[in-house]
Amino acid sequence: MTVLSLGIVRGLAAQIVGTALGIGLVVLVRVLMGLHAWEAEPATVVGAMLGVIAFIVGVGSMDDWFRWARGKVTPLHHGPPEDKPAWTRYFSVDYSHKVIGIQYGVLAITLLLVGGSLAGVFRVELAEAGRQFLDPAIFNTMIGMHGWGMIISILLGIAAFSNYLVPLLIGASDMAFPRLNAWAFWINVPTALVFIASMFVGGWDTGWTAYPPLSARAPLGMQLYFVSVFFFGISSIVGALNLIATILMLRAPGMSLFRMPIFVWAVLATSIIALTATQLIALSFIMVMMQRLLGMGFFDPAQGGNPILFQHLFWFYSHPAVYIFVLPGLGIISEILPVFSRKPLFGYKWVALSSMAIALAGFLVWAHHMFTSGMASFLRVPFMFSTLLVAVPTGVKFFSWIATIWRGKLTFPTPMLFVMGALSVFLIGGLSGPPNGIVTTDLFLHDTYWIVGHFHATMFGGFVFPFFAALYYWFPKFTGRMYNERMGKIHFWLMTPAFWVQSLGQMRVGLLGMRRRIVDYDPALGIEGGQLAVTIAGLVIGLSVLIMLANLIYSARRGRVAERNPWKSRSPEWQIPSPVPEISYPDGLQVIGEPYDYGLPDSRYVNLQVAAAAE
Amino acid sequence: MSSESLTSYKVQVRANRLGLWLFFVSESFMFGGLLASRFYLWGNTRPELDQVLGLIVTSILLLSSFFMNRAESAIAYDDRKTFLRSLLITAALGTLFLVGVVGFEWQGHLKPWDGVYGAVLFGMTGLHALHVLSGVIIILLVWNRGRQGGYSAERHWGVEACAIYWHFVDVIWVVFYPALYLIGLPVS
Amino acid sequence: MKHIVIASVLVIVVTVLVILGLNAVDLVPNLASAEGEYVDLMFQAQIYVIAFIFALIIVFMLYSVFVFRRKPGDTSDGPHITGNTTLEITWTIIPLIIVMGFGVWGALHLSEITAQGADELVVEVTGFQFGWRFEYPQYGLSSQELYLPRDRKVLFRLTSTDVIHSFWIPEFRIKQDAVPGLWTELRVTPTEVGNYRVRCAELCGYAHSAMYAPVVVVEPAEFQSWLEGQDVGASQPPEDMTPVERGAQLAEQQGCLSCHSTDGTTLVGPTWQGLYGSQGMLEDGSTVVADEDYLRKSILDPGAQVVDGFPNIMPPAYTFLSDDELAALVAYIESLSN
Repeated sequence: MTVLSLGIVRGLAAQIVGTALGIGLVVLVRVLMGLHAWEAEPATVVGAMLGVIAFIVGVGSMDDWFRWARGKVTPLHHGPPEDKPAWTRYFSVDYSHKVIGIQYGVLAITLLLVGGSLAGVFRVELAEAGRQFLDPAIFNTMIGMHGWGMIISILLGIAAFSNYLVPLLIGASDMAFPRLNAWAFWINVPTALVFIASMFVGGWDTGWTAYPPLSARAPLGMQLYFVSVFFFGISSIVGALNLIATILMLRAPGMSLFRMPIFVWAVLATSIIALTATQLIALSFIMVMMQRLLGMGFFDPAQGGNPILFQHLFWFYSHPAVYIFVLPGLGIISEILPVFSRKPLFGYKWVALSSMAIALAGFLVWAHHMFTSGMASFLRVPFMFSTLLVAVPTGVKFFSWIATIWRGKLTFPTPMLFVMGALSVFLIGGLSGPPNGIVTTDLFLHDTYWIVGHFHATMFGGFVFPFFAALYYWFPKFTGRMYNERMGKIHFWLMTPAFWVQSLGQMRVGLLGMRRRIVDYDPALGIEGGQLAVTIAGLVIGLSVLIMLANLIYSARRGRVAERNPWKSRSPEWQIPSPVPEISYPDGLQVIGEPYDYGLPDSRYVNLQVAAAAE
Repeated sequence: MSSESLTSYKVQVRANRLGLWLFFVSESFMFGGLLASRFYLWGNTRPELDQVLGLIVTSILLLSSFFMNRAESAIAYDDRKTFLRSLLITAALGTLFLVGVVGFEWQGHLKPWDGVYGAVLFGMTGLHALHVLSGVIIILLVWNRGRQGGYSAERHWGVEACAIYWHFVDVIWVVFYPALYLIGLPVS
Repeated sequence: MKHIVIASVLVIVVTVLVILGLNAVDLVPNLASAEGEYVDLMFQAQIYVIAFIFALIIVFMLYSVFVFRRKPGDTSDGPHITGNTTLEITWTIIPLIIVMGFGVWGALHLSEITAQGADELVVEVTGFQFGWRFEYPQYGLSSQELYLPRDRKVLFRLTSTDVIHSFWIPEFRIKQDAVPGLWTELRVTPTEVGNYRVRCAELCGYAHSAMYAPVVVVEPAEFQSWLEGQDVGASQPPEDMTPVERGAQLAEQQGCLSCHSTDGTTLVGPTWQGLYGSQGMLEDGSTVVADEDYLRKSILDPGAQVVDGFPNIMPPAYTFLSDDELAALVAYIESLSN
């Protein structure tokens, strides 16, 4: 087995070649057109794009499609490669949704660590007033990298869980389009490299929101950021398409829509948003790229363009995007609470439909990010109403969760701790929302650290905490071993109070006048104590995450062997062996009851002996 | 794919069809965003464009959809000759459309850097032209496969997909054409 | 049933405690505008509702955690309660009514906040990387400092010469973006005499964090004298001022002081204190002396010889200055080295 037999290595080699070719192509075309040969921007953009495309081809994710174009047959291969060690399948194109789920998960955690470390650095700078060590230009690049780095790690983490779990939860053998699934994953690897490279070609000083005119005149790194978001977006769209098709077409017999596990509803709602809204961030970024490359003055006032148009297009994606970020995590909360309460999910249909309602309403609120932008003043009123409306289905979820645990029989292993943590943190995040949705108070709060506190709390409560809960919860099913429960509890008890301190600290300093995206603040604001607390809290959170990773990595090899269903869940994936075999349900799956009928004697949700029973 | 049973083929085709329509829903959002930008930046005005040229290229594209439909119907009835010929005509008309837009409309007085009129015009026609180009390439790939006998009356998903894609690209133009050429007061 | 009663009582207790706790601290800077009163009122009202919902969820959650813990050895499931339609409708309708109520109230506020006043003072605000300029078109003067009279509604008309900035004085509460290519509006009535700062609230590039301008709110009579004093200053022909005085005036009017301090602090660019005649190292390792020649060149072509450690972001936007004006600026800078 040579290094070159690993798909990722072939892909990287191809990316290098493709980048060089792209640069060369631009030089050639410019010379042929009679222009001076070297212009950094077009060369970099075309080079980066061709590099990503070359990687996708080089890694092998399009091999089968090329064969189809030539009229060949390509049976879907199951299992590890015959002539190579099993671990190599994680570094090459593999069509199994379980492998792809793990691949997404590892990439997500990697980018989480990168983005989180950047925050650690600039939070140290911000702990005290006065400029300590960080250059403002580097700071501006770092906050942008942190912002998008975290966003993409959320998208990838969601893809990890959706890919691994959805087929398992609906009794399907795999996703509707396994090759498309692998293709969608592998886009992210070269794109992550382009994204990181943006720091090293001059950075970019706009934050992830990239507003023009600033983004139209930002350094070269801005273009690589745009290119990376474009490709990340393609992956997100294609992944969503796959999930929708899978959920609509591959459910096991007896699994009507209202008999699906609740997480699947969450993924369906999320995927509808990701499929559609993502196109708008691609469009808005491409328009800035065209303004930079070809002088197309969409947002250039000097040419009759309007910077506010960018904000409309951008936020049309980026607001629904936050519901992409939180709906799956909220689905995980709904999935896990019944198991550790030994009680049905309260109002399952209402909870399911609340995810759809949030997804739909989420499309109607985008301009609440623009209350101070200078758009027509009257527009602020309808957007305020639509924004406040989203609180209603969100409230339905909260009340349903409380009603689920009320009078239950609760136990608190680590997954349940993180679900409760998620609830409390998402509560603070959610409650700090209406002041932003109401125009009066938003005119004060916009672009302050209050907003930073609000979205960190919603993101942690809606994604990070549930993501960790899910990692611990399904760890025995993925690996066949148990994580270390004591270390899990240490992780929780470090992270949760620290996170409360961080959120409340951010909101407090924001109310006192601390703006967003500033490398230094006015000592006269009297917020140094709060800033120090936020920094320390952030570092504690980072430490706790490292503890979790150490726990999971160690336990994957050396943890206690887990029983098949340690949590006594009714869900189908807990009725099959751990780790999950290559073929999840060799004898089929049939739904014979409701998913959450805990407490109903002699009730079962699924029957795994379908093929046997048919004989 | 030809070695599997017809039933599982049909199941796969249903899934593929859903996937393709989901893709169209997604793409519509990008085209929709550009359309919204046109109205935001141009309001009730539009640039002066060659109306005769606009009418010609639109007719060519509509005609191409007719031939694309002919090709799909033909293969559904195993009429390979008509199928292959209609495909080629579609590709030719699609190429003519591109020539009309890129070779003529884009050589007019308006350039991409000429304010919001140039920017939006080239943005919309450019994105659409990219889709027309990819559609022509797909048609040629399908034609090539068809030549080798890869499709039959029962199994021609590739043709159906190509056809629906082509019609989708046509529908986009049906919306873009009035937005660019017909709506609003012309400004020179 | 008894659990609900106990929990409800706890909810009320916690609500009250949270409200008391939040009100015990000064959450926001001192209020100094009439429009800001709506902001503070709305925020206070929201605190009440937020405190209640927070208490409601947290109390019921923690109550469950402690009271409904599974007893050791109990392996049976909990009660098979799947839902309650009345409850669902209730907790959908009531929040709907509450949020719609706030929406209506917020809309009413917006009309109050944006309402035109009688006899408004008009100030045209121009944001630029990285400072602010204020023009008083009704009086024909411009200033680097925002002087305002107490209790008179100001119509700020905002724009930018380069990228999007945002005009914000925390004590006045409400903010508005300054967008290049268009004019945006913000109406504020200052109510407290004092010194404040404009703080740019939209990331605008390198020195966004330091993009400030001083704000001085004074009694109307003092504002009047300021106007007249400004007039005098503006109408005093430059020929009557010494070069150093003229240079000081230009430094203020042209925004130099946004990035160059005169007291030794490093803002964006080098401080002017002690600058004249000093030696500096350029990025390529060579040294220059900040003599008249260097200073003139640095104003007209700032990117040519940037001192190491400073960013090359000073715009070459001052080529309109006349020879005399350049000489005045240099003289002013020189005066700061004595």
